[in-house]
Amino acid sequence: MSITCRHVTRLYPICYTHLNAEQTSSSQAAAFDSIRFRLKPDRKTVGFLVTDWNLGIHSKQQSNNPRGGPRPPNAAPPGQQPPPFAGSRPRPPAPGVFQRGPAAPSGTPQTTLPPNVASTFTSPPSASQPPPSFTMRTPPPVALASSTGGPAVPPPPGAVPLTGPGARPRPFTSSPTSGLAMPPQMSTSGPVNNGPTAFSSWPTQGGPRFPPTMGGMQQPPIGPPQLPTSLSSGPSVQPPQMHPNFGNPPAGASPFTGQPVPPFSAPQQNIPPPPGSLPVSPPTQSMHHPSGSPYGMQTWPPQPGQVAPHPPIPGPMQQPRMYGMPPSPTPLPNQSMALSHTGQSKIDPNQIPRPIRSSSVIIHETRQGNQANPPPPATSDYIVKDTGNCSPRHMRCTINQIPCTVDVLSTSSMQLALLVQPLALPHPSEEPIQVVDFGESGPVRCSRCKGYINPFMKFIDQGRRFICNLCGFTDETPRDYHCNLGPDGRRRDADERPELCRGTVEFVATKEYMVREPMPAVFFFLVDVSMNAIQTGATAAACSAINQVIADLPEGPRTMVGIATFDSSIHFYNLKRALQQPLMLIVPDVQDVYTPLQSDIIVQLSECRQHLEVLLESIPTMFQNSRTTDSAFGAAIKAAFLAMKSSGGKLLVFQSVLPSIGIGSLSAREAEGRSNKSAGEKEAQKLLQAADKTLKTMAIEFAEYQVCVDLFLTTQTYVDIASISVVTRTTGGQVYYYYPFSALSDPAKLYNDLRWNVTRPQGFEAVMRVRCSQGIQVQEYFGNFCKRIPTDVDLPAEGSECAFQCALLYTTVYGQRRIRVSTLSLPCTTMLSNLFRSADLDTQFACVLRQVASEIPSAPLAQVREQATNVCINILHSYRKFCATASSSGQLILPEALKLLPLYTLALLKSSGLRADGRVDDRSFWINYVSPLSTPLAIPLVYPRMITIHDLDEKELDDSPIPPPVPLSSEDISDEGIYLLENGEDCLIFVGNSVSPDILQQFFGISSIEEIPNQFVLQQYDNPLSRKLNDVVNEIRRQRCSYLRLKLCRKGDSSGMTFFSYMVEDKTPSGLSYVEFLVHIHRQIQSKMA
Amino acid sequence: MAAPELPQTDPEGIEGVRMTWNNWPRTKVEASKCVIPIAASIQPIRPHVDLHVLPYIPLRCKSCTSVLNPFCRVDFTALIWICPFCFQRNHFPQHYTSISQTNLPAELYPNFPSIEYTIPNYPQNPQNYNPAVPPSPIYLFILDTCMIEEELDFAKSALKRAIGVLPDNAMVGFISYGTQVQVHELGFSEMSKVYVFRGSKELSKDQVLEQFGLGSSGGRRAGIGVQKAGGQLSPADGTANLGINRFLLPASECEYTLNSLLDELGTDQWPVAPGNRALRCSGVALGVAAGLLGASTVGTGARIIALVGGPCTEGPGAIVSKDLSDPARSHKDLDKDAAPFFKKAIHFYEELGKQLVSQGHVLDVYASALDQVGIAEMKVAIERTGGLVVLAESFGHSVFKDSFKRIFEDGEQSLGLSFNGTLEINCSKDIKIQGILGPCTSLEKKGPAVANTVIGQGNTTAWKMCGLDKNTCLTVFFDVSSSEKSDSSGTNPVLYIQFLTSYQSSDGQTRLRVTTVTRQWVDSAVGTEDLVQGFDQEAAAVVMARLASYKMEMEEAFDATRWLDRNLIRLCSKFGDYRKDDPTSFTLNPCFSLFPQFMFNLRRSQFIQVFNNSPDETAYFRILLNREIISNATVMIQPSLISYSFNSLPAPALLDVSSIAADRILLLDSYFSVVIFHGMTIAQWRNMGYQNQPEHQAFAHLLQAPHDDAQLIIRDRFPVPRLVVCDQHGSQARFLLAKLNPSATYSNAHEMAAGSDVIFTDDVSLQVFIDHLQRLAVQAS
Repeated sequence: MSITCRHVTRLYPICYTHLNAEQTSSSQAAAFDSIRFRLKPDRKTVGFLVTDWNLGIHSKQQSNNPRGGPRPPNAAPPGQQPPPFAGSRPRPPAPGVFQRGPAAPSGTPQTTLPPNVASTFTSPPSASQPPPSFTMRTPPPVALASSTGGPAVPPPPGAVPLTGPGARPRPFTSSPTSGLAMPPQMSTSGPVNNGPTAFSSWPTQGGPRFPPTMGGMQQPPIGPPQLPTSLSSGPSVQPPQMHPNFGNPPAGASPFTGQPVPPFSAPQQNIPPPPGSLPVSPPTQSMHHPSGSPYGMQTWPPQPGQVAPHPPIPGPMQQPRMYGMPPSPTPLPNQSMALSHTGQSKIDPNQIPRPIRSSSVIIHETRQGNQANPPPPATSDYIVKDTGNCSPRHMRCTINQIPCTVDVLSTSSMQLALLVQPLALPHPSEEPIQVVDFGESGPVRCSRCKGYINPFMKFIDQGRRFICNLCGFTDETPRDYHCNLGPDGRRRDADERPELCRGTVEFVATKEYMVREPMPAVFFFLVDVSMNAIQTGATAAACSAINQVIADLPEGPRTMVGIATFDSSIHFYNLKRALQQPLMLIVPDVQDVYTPLQSDIIVQLSECRQHLEVLLESIPTMFQNSRTTDSAFGAAIKAAFLAMKSSGGKLLVFQSVLPSIGIGSLSAREAEGRSNKSAGEKEAQKLLQAADKTLKTMAIEFAEYQVCVDLFLTTQTYVDIASISVVTRTTGGQVYYYYPFSALSDPAKLYNDLRWNVTRPQGFEAVMRVRCSQGIQVQEYFGNFCKRIPTDVDLPAEGSECAFQCALLYTTVYGQRRIRVSTLSLPCTTMLSNLFRSADLDTQFACVLRQVASEIPSAPLAQVREQATNVCINILHSYRKFCATASSSGQLILPEALKLLPLYTLALLKSSGLRADGRVDDRSFWINYVSPLSTPLAIPLVYPRMITIHDLDEKELDDSPIPPPVPLSSEDISDEGIYLLENGEDCLIFVGNSVSPDILQQFFGISSIEEIPNQFVLQQYDNPLSRKLNDVVNEIRRQRCSYLRLKLCRKGDSSGMTFFSYMVEDKTPSGLSYVEFLVHIHRQIQSKMA
Repeated sequence: MAAPELPQTDPEGIEGVRMTWNNWPRTKVEASKCVIPIAASIQPIRPHVDLHVLPYIPLRCKSCTSVLNPFCRVDFTALIWICPFCFQRNHFPQHYTSISQTNLPAELYPNFPSIEYTIPNYPQNPQNYNPAVPPSPIYLFILDTCMIEEELDFAKSALKRAIGVLPDNAMVGFISYGTQVQVHELGFSEMSKVYVFRGSKELSKDQVLEQFGLGSSGGRRAGIGVQKAGGQLSPADGTANLGINRFLLPASECEYTLNSLLDELGTDQWPVAPGNRALRCSGVALGVAAGLLGASTVGTGARIIALVGGPCTEGPGAIVSKDLSDPARSHKDLDKDAAPFFKKAIHFYEELGKQLVSQGHVLDVYASALDQVGIAEMKVAIERTGGLVVLAESFGHSVFKDSFKRIFEDGEQSLGLSFNGTLEINCSKDIKIQGILGPCTSLEKKGPAVANTVIGQGNTTAWKMCGLDKNTCLTVFFDVSSSEKSDSSGTNPVLYIQFLTSYQSSDGQTRLRVTTVTRQWVDSAVGTEDLVQGFDQEAAAVVMARLASYKMEMEEAFDATRWLDRNLIRLCSKFGDYRKDDPTSFTLNPCFSLFPQFMFNLRRSQFIQVFNNSPDETAYFRILLNREIISNATVMIQPSLISYSFNSLPAPALLDVSSIAADRILLLDSYFSVVIFHGMTIAQWRNMGYQNQPEHQAFAHLLQAPHDDAQLIIRDRFPVPRLVVCDQHGSQARFLLAKLNPSATYSNAHEMAAGSDVIFTDDVSLQVFIDHLQRLAVQAS
């Protein structure tokens, strides 16, 4: 970074040593950062809008609003209008996924907001009945409330909600809540008692907002309801019911629309009915009633749809599951309520909201009708068409509408953050990013804020001047860039110039942006050869991985490599071709290191390939008799750094033991901690902090010189990841952890990790700067990078959209200096409901995740856990309080967009980072792994995907070889089954004790469960099952950009314990079950309300 | 032509001892009146045909530890011998019972004032010592790589040759350095392996050992390992490569490795910025080498052989900054204390010297560069350890090449390099030892014979000579402390001094050389005749030269010329025959006749007139002055000149410009250079090729003769002198002219005959000098 020219430096406060693009999944660290914004309080306020989609837990959903009478529309009263129906949880459909939907709304017309209805969990039974009622609307909320509310409610719940919503929603409008938040359940459940039914009903309600949206865009809010949609998605069954209810509501809703709701709102009316909903499955129902059409699903779901009116579409469908919650288990009050109703005392687990993954590929246009289009869920498979905004892969905002005031934002309890992954891998079918060369003069920029030209710069005065969309300053158009405006006010050449019509473009950097020639691609390998590493085979594995990976490095004179080994001293190798054999150069001073040669340690790959190969083959034997147990890790990286200092580059370190000597040596403080239990919690948490500042200081220097460190920890023991990972974090590198290292099964992963690490698209000497419209300033940056100058951004903005621009100056592996500029322009809103509707769960959760990760080392565990839970509670509470006031307090109401928040939060609490019982290193690794994690990978890490594989050959799958996931609950695990669970890093294959030997034979080539090996290497046998399993695993690897650590698990031993620890929905000694957790949340909300 | 008196054929004799005064004044006062200090120049291990080597352990006096010698009084019947130093009566041990007047053991033969004992397991006696196989000496080569390719190639080929001729059992190590130090691990078979040390950081011995993995306990083990390797020398002695024998291998085993390593070794890769000197860390390299050797057993002979190609600019021992616009220090800078690096570097090398001495190891420096390399600073370490030094202009020059070859040669030419020498001196009562000038270090062994005043390495009666060879020569300064009473007693007219030198010879044996000398006391109150007869002019001149050099280094603002002049005048006043204030009446006993001329030449020599030389050169000259035998040192002071012509046999010529003639060839031996000077006519003839014509064979012989003689000189000398062949009026003729007495200068050129030459100088001629001397001597106070 120092590299950048001065003026550039000023502009780009964040420096990366190294950036990678990883696909959605990879975590690449550096690449992914979230930036939290602080809203400056200068915005004007506005009323809130509510959107919602919620899950109602318990009966009622939105009951009425405060003012408004209960239910219905009438209630609508408040002006707000739109009926709040939301209650329902419409979204069933793709809820999870689409939820982001909200975004959609925003994007477009939005607002629609679909669904925020709270879904109720009400008791199922009621549900069934209710439906009708709902339809009627009777029930408003109450139903849901059931739990609390008592019986009455029940039925209605679903319905209620809607109605309810209608009533109060006004404010928010709500979204569509489609009724059931649980859609999913619905669908499925339809069957189920409570859940389903209930939902069904609700669903209806949720007016479809989408439709509206589309049309009017603005109105959306209104909508009541998402009704149908949600439902729709759900299986037909429910829908019907739903409709009814909603239908009405919607109508009610309309009022809202009328209202003010800003942008979105307007449309409502239209919305409702129409489209969305209808189309959608359930449509029918939805449609009907509805008139309320509005509710139709929320926009989101169908993103696509959204845009267009066609809403219904895809997305929606599934949502269903979500609702599941309903009837809570007895224990909690709420639930009890429910119970009473139905009589059942249990929440049907099948109706609790759970993620649904759609298997089909979505086409996502980033803007439609000149409105930002909310992005599809991060974990889904989508193809982006860049129509003005950058791809969500590059930037995602936690909320797809920007609150106009700080008050709105703070009331929502959500955080406004931007996740930026400038080098994210595109989908193969996406258009490549266009490169724009402005020649000598460099890209056109605002002369005040230095923002780069983008599609939202407004040209005026016949194109002679342009107004910066970031700071509002008016600049002269450079003469040779001048172009007349067309009748629509756009430049006539706007569509031909990528920088005027694409959200992401790359500018060729001019000399101004370089302080030196672009650096060569330097790869320096540093291998631990201490006794332990040699004896466990780690050294051999590393050498062989490096040897293979050399072949994959880019050819050409710009690729340079170097290698060194270390134990208690550091051994460099002179690979110059002239030498007959490599020359080993030992640096014995590990307190005060230096590089043993000025040149020849790092040489062009083409010149030393042979030497390198010979060397790598001989290293493991050369040190075979080494008795050196010490490892001078700190000194070694420092020495390697000194060798690389002049060029910068990637330093890949293979380390096997705790650094015990030389600079930055560490003590086995874990053991000390154990023997000194009395120190208590405080000490325990210190173990998660770096032991001292030595490594940090070193790492900062590395970053200054463009050296990025990646760590491959192939270890059997404690290595104090908390301390050594500081190096990777600061330099934009990554930690790979193989514990306990197995010479049999790990080398393949090591090789693949290494290969991906060096061959993935990446950039060097990068500097990033994020600019945003006036009124917003960057408050904090998270991620793996070196932050040099804290910067605030404060730029004027105009218009109703708020823009973010991320500019990344970097050097490609091929030595070109580029500026990648991504611009995202989002609508502003003053309505709280819009915020909820447009919340992006995946992104929000990713932010929460990394915040939690950053907290863990510095705060007591209990406090961090509580904080995480509070985030969830506060958001839901805020929603409940301001957007779903009408619902009974007996209902747990979840905004559609955030219906999975409790589940993810629960999973987070049970993740290895937040468990007190884990090894210190495991937790440190988790913290470290999480902090740069991209959104698409964040979710599976916490809430892994589990599929059944024993029946692989029975399933007919459309697009994807991967069967649909099953819930993470041990109730779903059968002894006859084989299950594969993966979180993007580990992949556990659980073999039930009663699996038929035949299947075992086919999969693993063993005849009995007793033969299950400890160390597992996946092999492909000649039978369809095995082939499919391999296909599945390969597909997962592709999706996650990770080779996965495969492990076989069986009940009864530690491997089985490991597996079951991933069953986040289970009750465990230290954690609640999912249902219990919902109840807990609900209670907390209730107590807050009171 | 009064040629300088040639030394008698063997002035040192079997004793190897020459004294300024062979008859000693009996009192301190008398001694000081003698002007020239009482000093002995000893050549501790001088080879001699008559030297007997006794295969048993010497008998020592139980009170003063002196060794049985021919001057002891022996009572054959009582089997008792009386020590001549302390008069202690000692019994002969059992196995001497058979001795009698006619059956003397060799050490009692009066003809053998020097005798040598072979001592099994001298300094230590490890249980597993195997006397059949002597410990192998260690040669640790250090090569500077901050040189141009060509120089490096010369140096490398010299090294290869040297390694090729080392005895098979010699242990060899190799270090190269430039900006950093690279210690090559020769025992690593997989690939070339090098330990790299940064040039800017001074490392203590312990740090070095630790970084080599030889630290503390490891070091001890390593030491034993080496001893084993030394003692039993089984390379296969598997104790593996843990100890120092990773770095030091028998020459026979590592020759191939070293050769290929040298083949690949290139010049230092660290870049040199324009306008800068290369970063060269000679100091750290030597420090690391010393540290590495520290892991070997004390008592194992080891030499660090450093080939240095330029000044140290990095780390400890730096003598100049890396900026080329900063010139290396000159004598003027030193005088004005304007050499910022000097003191620090000296201090560093002092410490290094101490370390090496304590380990018993030797530092040899071969410096070849046009610039200075810091010999002036390293001198202390070199001299203390008894190391060799050769200063040349290039590694391709014969001065280096041939000298280097000589070190490792066997046989006649061999230098007889020995290790771990210890010198002890016992002397009669009333004799005190002030100290020694020469390649040794005081062991600080106090005793009654230690004088109060110190010259050189003093305060002791024992000295360490880590390295010594056949020619090594030390100057011992004595003082007479006779009290008045002992004076009166006059009981004992003779005095005895015994030099005990134990050392490890080049073939690995431990030897003890015992030299006992006796001299007469004379009572100078009676007359100076005896004193005069006992005066050794050459020894006196050399001692004065050494003392003057020493004082120039040690005393600030010491005016050597005046000091010499004053002493010469005092000497002449005391021992000359003259009438007061009548210069013409002045005559000097023949025993002193050459001395004024020596002084005249000494005043003009490079030892006193340092400003014509760099500090490095001066240091180099002085090191050699201090370690060479008297006859060689005399040549340094007053070169010898031989003239060749058709008309006469080669004959010594006056060291005077008047010796130059057009039809003569002159051969000048000034020790450091040998000049063959062709008169104008000779040169013309030669240029016309007469020597190639059969009828002028005599001319060819004439031309050849000085070359043959020069080769004789060169062959026996170490370091090899520079051979200069020049013609009258040629530019190289300055090598001759600078040494000649300027009896003819431009001021009196008109008087000169044709064909002769003049010297352009304002220096006084010998004649003028003598005139003044006479005048001053007679007017004395």
